[in-house]
Amino acid sequence: MPRIRLFTTPICPYCFSLKRFLEEKGIEVEEIDVTKNEVAMEEMINATQQTTVPVLDIDGEFIVGFDREKICKILKIEN
Amino acid sequence: MMYDLVIVGAGPAGMTSAIYSARQKLKTLIISKDFGGQMAQKAVEIENYPGFEKITGFDLISKMENQVKNVDVVREKVIEVKKENDIFFLKTEGDKVFQSKVVIIATGAEPRRLNVLGEVNYLGRGVSYCSTCDGPLFKNKEVAIIGGGDAGFETAIFMKNYASKIYILEQEESVKASIDNQKKASGIEVITSARLKEIKGDNFVNQIVFELSGKEKTLDVKGVFIQAGYVPETSFPGDLVELNEKKEIIVNFETFETKTKGLFAVGDVNCGKVKQIVVACGQGATAVIHGYKYI
Repeated sequence: MPRIRLFTTPICPYCFSLKRFLEEKGIEVEEIDVTKNEVAMEEMINATQQTTVPVLDIDGEFIVGFDREKICKILKIEN
Repeated sequence: MMYDLVIVGAGPAGMTSAIYSARQKLKTLIISKDFGGQMAQKAVEIENYPGFEKITGFDLISKMENQVKNVDVVREKVIEVKKENDIFFLKTEGDKVFQSKVVIIATGAEPRRLNVLGEVNYLGRGVSYCSTCDGPLFKNKEVAIIGGGDAGFETAIFMKNYASKIYILEQEESVKASIDNQKKASGIEVITSARLKEIKGDNFVNQIVFELSGKEKTLDVKGVFIQAGYVPETSFPGDLVELNEKKEIIVNFETFETKTKGLFAVGDVNCGKVKQIVVACGQGATAVIHGYKYI
């Protein structure tokens, strides 16, 4: 199984939606609230060169936003 | 696949339509890329929806979602609707086609783009339309909010939790936000008659340029939150509907039917002047009842 990290902020609706989507698909993720982890926030911004969430890190491949199609393709799950 | 009723959009108007349609035992489908619409992105809690003293937009839409668990959902964007022999054909961007006897358009509205230099280039790199998502990433940073309406002030009030300095730029001579929101915005610098001209930076935003009383001014900011109103999402129904000058769908306000029989438009996408969650819900319910009669 790949290591999956989900970078979020506390009341971001797209973060909630993405988290729920992954839960429904039975995908285990490590959620990181970047407001409580500045090192992770820096890492996320450096990796994506963007200041937006959610960000999903699948084994080092960073996906910005709830890009359902791309996520399903990488994780090989049904959209 | 053939449905009795297809709802395009899943904000409060669309979700209420789905609740009512399912209760009428109509074969119902929701087609929407996202759930919640503008409501899910609200920067402050909702305090005027009956039954809840305070609730976040996300929590309210989650409760609505729970009420439509048995309704079919397709997570795509509709790009075209046609009507042939009393049947509607809805085509999605994924090239799927769905048929229905009744269609309810509940696509709401999307944030208005300002079309200023740098807006697209710096989107996601300092420019944001979703403060509840990206606001916390601007902790101890200076930010500008473009738009002095209630949405702009609510964004500013939310950003007080994070930003070191907050500016609101309003292009009119006075702000339109409610007195209550203005009172809550203490410590925020409001600049009126300010027209944004450009968003500048390197990898990320670091400055905005605006015009004030004919003179060019700059502010050094790391974040720009654009809250300049909304434009209705009416790109797909084509000539099945009539639009007003704001591109809102013109409807009969008793039934919420458009000029095409069996095609309804509810919530912020139609020409109603009151854009409120509870109003959108009422319109969704009304349209389904009339749609049921139509079938």
